[in-house]
Amino acid sequence: MKIRAITLNNVRRFTDPAQVVGIGDGINVLSEPNEHGKSTLFDAIQALFFKPFGSRDKDVAALRPHAGGAPEVTVEVETDEGRFSIFKRWFQKPLATVHRSGTLIAQADEAEAWIAQLLGGDAGGPSGLIWVRQGMTALTGGSGKEEKLALEARRDLMTSVGAEVEAMTGGRRMDKALAQCRDELAHYATATGRPRTGGPWKEARDQVEELSAEHDHLASTARELHDALAERQRARRALAELEAPDVVEERRQKLEMTRAAHAAATRHAEEVETLARAMDLARLNAESATTRLDSYRAAEAEQKAALAEETRARQATDAARSALAERRTALEAAEVSAQEARTALQTAEDQRRRAQRAVAAREGADRRRALEARIKEAEEARRRMETAAAAARSGPDTAALQRLEALSAELSASRAARDATATQVIVHYASGSSGVIHGDDGPLADGTALPLPRSTTLRIDGIGSLEIHPAASGQEDGSVEAATAKLQTALDQIGAANLTEARAATAARAEAAARQGEAKAVLASLAPNGIDALHQELAAIPTPTTETDAPDIETAENALQAAQTHHEACRIIRETAAEALADAKADAARSDALLTSLTDRLQRAEAQQAKLGDVAEEDLATQTVTTAAALEAARLAHAEKAKDAPDAASLQAALTRAESVETQARDEIARLRPLLARLSERITRASGDAVEERLAETQEQLQAAEDKLARITHEVAVLTRLEAALQDARNEARERYFTPIVKELKPLLQLLWPDAELTWGEESLLPHALIRGGREEPIDVLSGGTQEQVALLVRLAFARMLARAGRIVPVILDDALVFTDDDRIERMFDALHRQAGDMQIIVLTCRQRAFRALGGQALRLQMVKE
Amino acid sequence: MTFRFIHASDLHIGRKFANIPQPPDGNIRGRLMEARHGAITKLAQAARDRGAAHVLLAGDTFDTATPSPAVVRQALTAMGEAPEVTWWILPGNHDNLRDAEPLWDVISRDAPTNLRALTDAAAIEMAEGITLLPCPVAYRAGASDPSAPLDQMQSPEGHLRIGLAHGGVTDFTESGDAIAPDRDRRAGLDYLALGDWHGRMAVSERVHYCGTPEQDRFKHGQRGVCLAVDIAGPGAAPKVEEIETGSFLWSEAELALHPRQDAAAALNALLPTTGRRDHLLRVTARGWAGLPDRADLARAAETCAPDFAHFDLVTDALATQYEAGDLDEIDRGGALRLAAEALVSEAESETLSQAERDVAADALARLHAYVQGAKT
Repeated sequence: MKIRAITLNNVRRFTDPAQVVGIGDGINVLSEPNEHGKSTLFDAIQALFFKPFGSRDKDVAALRPHAGGAPEVTVEVETDEGRFSIFKRWFQKPLATVHRSGTLIAQADEAEAWIAQLLGGDAGGPSGLIWVRQGMTALTGGSGKEEKLALEARRDLMTSVGAEVEAMTGGRRMDKALAQCRDELAHYATATGRPRTGGPWKEARDQVEELSAEHDHLASTARELHDALAERQRARRALAELEAPDVVEERRQKLEMTRAAHAAATRHAEEVETLARAMDLARLNAESATTRLDSYRAAEAEQKAALAEETRARQATDAARSALAERRTALEAAEVSAQEARTALQTAEDQRRRAQRAVAAREGADRRRALEARIKEAEEARRRMETAAAAARSGPDTAALQRLEALSAELSASRAARDATATQVIVHYASGSSGVIHGDDGPLADGTALPLPRSTTLRIDGIGSLEIHPAASGQEDGSVEAATAKLQTALDQIGAANLTEARAATAARAEAAARQGEAKAVLASLAPNGIDALHQELAAIPTPTTETDAPDIETAENALQAAQTHHEACRIIRETAAEALADAKADAARSDALLTSLTDRLQRAEAQQAKLGDVAEEDLATQTVTTAAALEAARLAHAEKAKDAPDAASLQAALTRAESVETQARDEIARLRPLLARLSERITRASGDAVEERLAETQEQLQAAEDKLARITHEVAVLTRLEAALQDARNEARERYFTPIVKELKPLLQLLWPDAELTWGEESLLPHALIRGGREEPIDVLSGGTQEQVALLVRLAFARMLARAGRIVPVILDDALVFTDDDRIERMFDALHRQAGDMQIIVLTCRQRAFRALGGQALRLQMVKE
Repeated sequence: MTFRFIHASDLHIGRKFANIPQPPDGNIRGRLMEARHGAITKLAQAARDRGAAHVLLAGDTFDTATPSPAVVRQALTAMGEAPEVTWWILPGNHDNLRDAEPLWDVISRDAPTNLRALTDAAAIEMAEGITLLPCPVAYRAGASDPSAPLDQMQSPEGHLRIGLAHGGVTDFTESGDAIAPDRDRRAGLDYLALGDWHGRMAVSERVHYCGTPEQDRFKHGQRGVCLAVDIAGPGAAPKVEEIETGSFLWSEAELALHPRQDAAAALNALLPTTGRRDHLLRVTARGWAGLPDRADLARAAETCAPDFAHFDLVTDALATQYEAGDLDEIDRGGALRLAAEALVSEAESETLSQAERDVAADALARLHAYVQGAKT
């Protein structure tokens, strides 16, 4: 179904017919300011499709104008069957009609039925689902009734494309099964799957544990009993063996026998011991006698030897002392001669020095003379050089002369130029009258032209004077005077009267310079290091001495040589004597020391002899023989006795063994008797407690308890598994249920938020959270803009689902985007266009400027022209 | 001259039956214990009835090595109250000589005069011309044929040689303590009275297990007996008669089921109609049953159980067959169906362990029960 035109009459402010025509496919936009009747239009469409013509409820009443009257609404729709005009009027003469091409095809209730059929029968209408009233920007809201209707619509739609939600998720039966399962499970286990305190599972576990403990306890008691029984048997056997009379008697006899044997052996051993001691004494006597004899002999020998040695040493000492005295005398003599030789040597050296000095003085006088002459020459050269230098500094140098030459040439040139143009007077003297005519500069030369650059008076001797006034030819420009003045100035500067003089002065300067150079060269050759150096050299030459008795140098040298040789010989003699003295001293000391030690030795030997007392060597020798014989006798007696000795050690061992056997037997009996009593007591007690009987019982109880625990564990596993299965199935079913809408919504959501998803509420059949980037945000905490965007996208998805179900219904949005910003609104427009395709979307908005970018077919609400 | 005696064994007096579940209002354990004690009277009666002066107990007269004093004293007293009979008691493995030394001390000290404890492996003349050759058990678990000493035991010429031993003829544990089945020939016995096995068994003409006079396990399927043995003279073949002494019948039955069978009816058909009070019955169900059949079977078992001394239905070996109808009863579609199908596939999975499959199968059965319960 698509709406093509809407006409209102007597609807609120439209007391005259007003209509919207030319509603096309795809997007249609009615963009009007507020108060232009957009909501009225929406309400009218709502009323036409959903309010029976007989209705007088408040929604319908709200359509009446203030003045009252019967609201009329006509909507033209186009379906697959063609184009129809649906008309409804409420209150006065209420009516509903459906026309097709002007032909009435249904009216009143039949028309209502037709309308219901058009909207898809009971399979869910578009109201609330995709027709959204102004201000309904969220998915929920409106009156309770509206919400309920919207829920119904959603449920119908979902069911029409899938199955009943109840059928899908199992509904109450599932809830009940799950509840029962959890209830039963809670009887056994806690929420975390542990046995619940006080529950049968825990109880069974505890019981198994308790019985296990008791079983273990009883088993160990039984084991102890068995051990005690075994031990008692062993103990009884051991005791019986120990206490058998023949065994006891045998033990006793054996002990007695070994004791007697042992006593005899002990006595014999004592006798042997006595003899051994006697033998030891004899050996001591013999040894002592021998020792004494040996000592006596040794002392005597020592005394003799020491005495001889001492005498020899004393003689040696005396010899050494006299040798020492001799040597000392020799040394003293040697020292005297050495002193004399040294004095002689000094004298010889003095003589030689004086001779040398005399030679040097002679050589110095010649050099002095030569040097003094050289100094004189050098000073002369220096003086000449200085004179020439002074001359070389006066007079013009070459450059100045050249300048003078140039000025002179310039003057000549100026003069020549002047004379060339000046009036010239040439005198040709008659012979003999030469020189009678005088000019300013003396007599005029014959035949020589005299230029007259200015008025000149020529005096002619004897005649008078001839004034000549040349014509003012302008030749007289003063250049000759200037050049003359310049030349004169230059000449004045160098102090020359004229050029010739200047030239001479220049030549004189050059000559002086040459002279200076020569003098300098002479000086350099005489005194390359300056004259001062020559003076110093001169000062270094010794002044000749006045010594006249200086010896001849050769004689002095020979004398010195002889003195040195003599001195050396004396020195060697003295050193040899000193060494000999030292040797003699050492010999004397050594001899003294040896003598002292030998004297000591002799004293010791004599003391030793004194100690031995007044005995004779024969007596001592006799004693030695006697004691040796006594020792031999004692040894024989001891050996005889020891030969017959019984084996004391083995007899002792036998006795010890026999005693320990007896002791052991006694100890063992002493241990066994109380042990037996204890064991018997323990056995009586344990068997009286019927430990094995209880053990058997406990074992059976434990088995039963373990079986019970296994059953309960299994039961818990069953319940846990069932709960998981039910929960999983419900989740899966829920997902399946929402698959169609999720599929439709996905591409739309992606326009705004890539990878975003919505989760759906089973009860509300609405999204309850938006998942973006893995984060779940409940719808109602999202911003107003986001909420309305989600809402609009969901509605568009629903519309698409309806379309797929073959029920194309226009989407009517009355100011559905209020909070959306410019960026998002563009994308929302994209979404709208994307959905528009084969659908019809009618957008009512007061946001004229914002919605200009939406495009689509523009609609106008206009008065019907009569 | 015919010598007649009663051969019995394994009285296991003092056994507590703590493994048998005791219903809160029942007394089954007490009754079972009492029946064991009662076997003494039954044996005395059998001896009197057959005119036998001797009762040979081939071991395990007492259940444990240290029975409680009351158990011992009352048993001894009961034997003493049959003075015309002489009781020859052999230590078995449960009351072996070493572990039960105090017990045998008590017996030799306090026993009535008509009781003879056979604690020595030595021939003894039990009556004129009759030599009893006892083989007391010294340890709980031996490592040699306990009847081996019989070969060396001498008896006067012309005497009947009656062997008395305790142990199995089959070496289950391979410890070497089995009794040679031809011991009678090796030791020249006229009769070898054996104990240890609780079921009656004739090993050969002269070698017999009498079994316990009062059964204590499901294995044997008949009431306990004792044997009345007649021997005409040395070398004569013994005449052996079984005398029923047991009060309780322990039995096992197998219930083979297949799908679409009324399992409850099949169970009821299997059950005995009489003697249920003294009957301990274990029914092992096998085969296949549908989900509802399983529920029916469980209910039927619950219903009949109180009739019996003890009733146990074992369904471990009963597999569940799931049918579309069963799942439809849970739900035709939707989440409950999803859950049910997930559990079915897990129960029938070949990759999961048996335990996991059992859990899934039982979870499914439980879900079925929930949904069914919710309907009613």
